[in-house]
Amino acid sequence: MEGMDARDEKPQTARSRSDEQLTSRSPSREDPAMRPGYLGFVAHEIRNPLSTALWTAEMLVRMTMADRGGARGEKLSAMCLRSVSRVRQLVEDHLLCERLDTGGLPLCIEAIGARDAVDAVLERHPAEIASAHGDRSVGVEADRGLLERAIEGLVAVAGAERTPVSVTSHVADGRVAFLVKGRTAEEGALSDPVKGTPSDPTGRALSIALARRIAAALGGALVVQGGGWLLTVPRAQGYTAPPSTTAFP
Amino acid sequence: MNRPLVLVVDDDPDILDAICDILDAEGYRVSRARHGQEALEQVDSERPDVILLDLMMPVMDGVAFSHALRQRPAVSDVPIVVISADGNPQRAAAVGAAGYLAKPFDIDALLAHVAGITRDVGAPRPGT
Repeated sequence: MEGMDARDEKPQTARSRSDEQLTSRSPSREDPAMRPGYLGFVAHEIRNPLSTALWTAEMLVRMTMADRGGARGEKLSAMCLRSVSRVRQLVEDHLLCERLDTGGLPLCIEAIGARDAVDAVLERHPAEIASAHGDRSVGVEADRGLLERAIEGLVAVAGAERTPVSVTSHVADGRVAFLVKGRTAEEGALSDPVKGTPSDPTGRALSIALARRIAAALGGALVVQGGGWLLTVPRAQGYTAPPSTTAFP
Repeated sequence: MNRPLVLVVDDDPDILDAICDILDAEGYRVSRARHGQEALEQVDSERPDVILLDLMMPVMDGVAFSHALRQRPAVSDVPIVVISADGNPQRAAAVGAAGYLAKPFDIDALLAHVAGITRDVGAPRPGT
């Protein structure tokens, strides 16, 4: 709609903290000199699964219809789908990182149950999350989609190689902290990856970079604490939890 | 006569699976390694006719592997084709590679490289 600004895109149900917080204000990259190395890493990460997707698709095309339905055809089809999914994850994460870096991404800030956000991620990743704890009466002021995306990325990274993941939320210093623990979090992973950083065959190579940007855009932070990822966001004062069904008691 | 043996070295399991599938379908024997250290164990076990080598890998990268390979008299002359996603062909020269393929490369380009090199070194043709 012509003349529509970020504020107009906000649904009527959204509660804004202030006009300034309706668009992302994520800080730019730590060091512009690192940008070529970062983009080199992104290109490398995308080219690997892109290669597999193209090769497996071409191999399937070269097979006869009968062979395509056989064991080899099934294996190649599964590899192709897995690779395309990996490319999609990387491209979406990269583009969102770029939009957050550029600033001006419309945000829909609203009061969300901290535990509800975890449960939403849990529904999509029932296998990875072994336990989830948090007070249902605690709310956060955040963009629901971005917050869930950050938690989801942290869960995926913490759950690498089938490591059981625990997610807890608690109030600390007037903020709400989500602690995601599983595979040991490394302090160095908070910095943007650069060319030469080990590849991630699951397509989650940009998840930490994205979660850090989301945290900043929401007025919070992402740090490593006790071997886990600690994501903090502003607390929604006076939040009242709606009645809801739960995935975890 | 033994079919030519191609050693594929890459840390990405899907890349390994895909390339090995392609070569196997063309009649080559294939062995695989996830990094340079594993690749050295493979070449010590059986001399390959050609090595397809990624450069950026954990444990031992492609450059370190190539240097270690050149120190082994029995396999120091095995030709290497660098397969890399870093888009820098000059790095292939650094390992003395006989060829360079930038991911994502065409299947036919891969097969042409491997066929050309195995022919040059006198290896039997695939499927024979």
